[in-house]
Amino acid sequence: MTTLLEKITDQARALAVRSPWIYRINAGSCNGCDVECATTALIPRYDVERLGCQYCGSPRHADIVLITGPLTTRVKEDVLRVFAEIPDPKVTVAVGVCPISGGIFRDGYAVNAPIDKYLPVDINVPGCPPRPQAIIEGIAQAIAIWRERL
Amino acid sequence: MLEMLTTPIAALLFPGGLFALAFGLALKGLDRRLAARLQGRVGPPLAQPLFDLVKLARKRTMVPDIAAEPVFLGAPLIGAVSMLLCAALVPIPGVYTPDTMLGDLLVLLYLLTLPAVVLMIAGSASGSPFGAIGFSREMALMLAYEGPLVLVVVAVAMRTGLGQGDLISFSLSEIIAYQQTHGAFLFDPVMWPALLAFLAFYPANLGIVPFDIPEAETEVLEGPLLEYSGPALGLFKVMSALKAVVVLGLGVALFYPLAPDGALGLLVHLAKLTGMMLIGITVVRLSCGRMRIDQAFSFFLKWPLALSLLSLAIVALA
Repeated sequence: MTTLLEKITDQARALAVRSPWIYRINAGSCNGCDVECATTALIPRYDVERLGCQYCGSPRHADIVLITGPLTTRVKEDVLRVFAEIPDPKVTVAVGVCPISGGIFRDGYAVNAPIDKYLPVDINVPGCPPRPQAIIEGIAQAIAIWRERL
Repeated sequence: MLEMLTTPIAALLFPGGLFALAFGLALKGLDRRLAARLQGRVGPPLAQPLFDLVKLARKRTMVPDIAAEPVFLGAPLIGAVSMLLCAALVPIPGVYTPDTMLGDLLVLLYLLTLPAVVLMIAGSASGSPFGAIGFSREMALMLAYEGPLVLVVVAVAMRTGLGQGDLISFSLSEIIAYQQTHGAFLFDPVMWPALLAFLAFYPANLGIVPFDIPEAETEVLEGPLLEYSGPALGLFKVMSALKAVVVLGLGVALFYPLAPDGALGLLVHLAKLTGMMLIGITVVRLSCGRMRIDQAFSFFLKWPLALSLLSLAIVALA
């Protein structure tokens, strides 16, 4: 009986993991990485929908969070609040070099990078901006982590 | 034949319930797949809506602090259940005729308005300003499309009723029987205006581009659904999958119910629904942009209303 139940749970997890919904947070990014994120989703060549991904408008629907930008002081509180609105289990992907180190803004007075001082970051996708292939690779790795948490 | 089916089986297994849900999810999957192919993408697997549902069932439902919790959680449940009942009311020509004890065309029409009402209630109960915008847009859109829908149904019912020597007949089985002997309304020039009006109605009822104004994700972030997560959001997905089957099935019953008996009839029915979904929805939604709410409102009060009135007038005078 327990083994049957475990089998069903495993099966459900295997199905569920094929539906990662993506939410983008712009933490004061220069929009370069956001354009690349949009590119991976929208143009036929880098279709992420074939991984089952879907961009969603609401943080409450999200499973995988893409964060861009160096977490400027002006948006910090809002970003943290939106991040808290995302139901668990969630996986965070930091896109671009800004969330990692601040990139070209690193010594700026209004920049709070690295972002993992405030949020648990699972995957870093460096680059300024990263290539679409790198973002897709980051999403694929995030799905693998998400499978463990689900 | 399966006419001896008891009501609970009809509502839970076939043709409502599980069967309708599975078919509705398959329709949604096909829709997304074809959309991707038309844009030159690979697209998600066909079972993607099922994966989404399983995923949502395993997540947690968050309730906002300012939401009215019982209403917030009750609304999706009422919506999904009303659509389950609705799916049992839609006949499959040659295979399934709903028990008249359960209800007929008029009950179906009333139940069909419930999803929109439920979305409005959900939007306002969530306490989110986007939900409130979704609420007002949903209401305006509903006011606009319900009128033409009722007129289309009355035109079909009058055509049937007058053909039989009555004035009007609101019985789906009589409408189907009449078309099976006298030819489908799809090929009846008198009914073409009504058909056009119905074609405009169904993307609006299903909340699909160009009429997805209440849930527009790029403007109001999915409006009423913004605050929903986990199983509650899954119930809304169930509701919309079932609604696709119900509305398409209603269209088939009203305009083209010719089908052989038995299993072949079921296949023909499914093929008709799929065809209508792909041509009437997928292609339309990819080739249009979203209308503004005032444009949609004046569109519905101009063309579909005029067309359905025209059809009604011709039917009444002919």
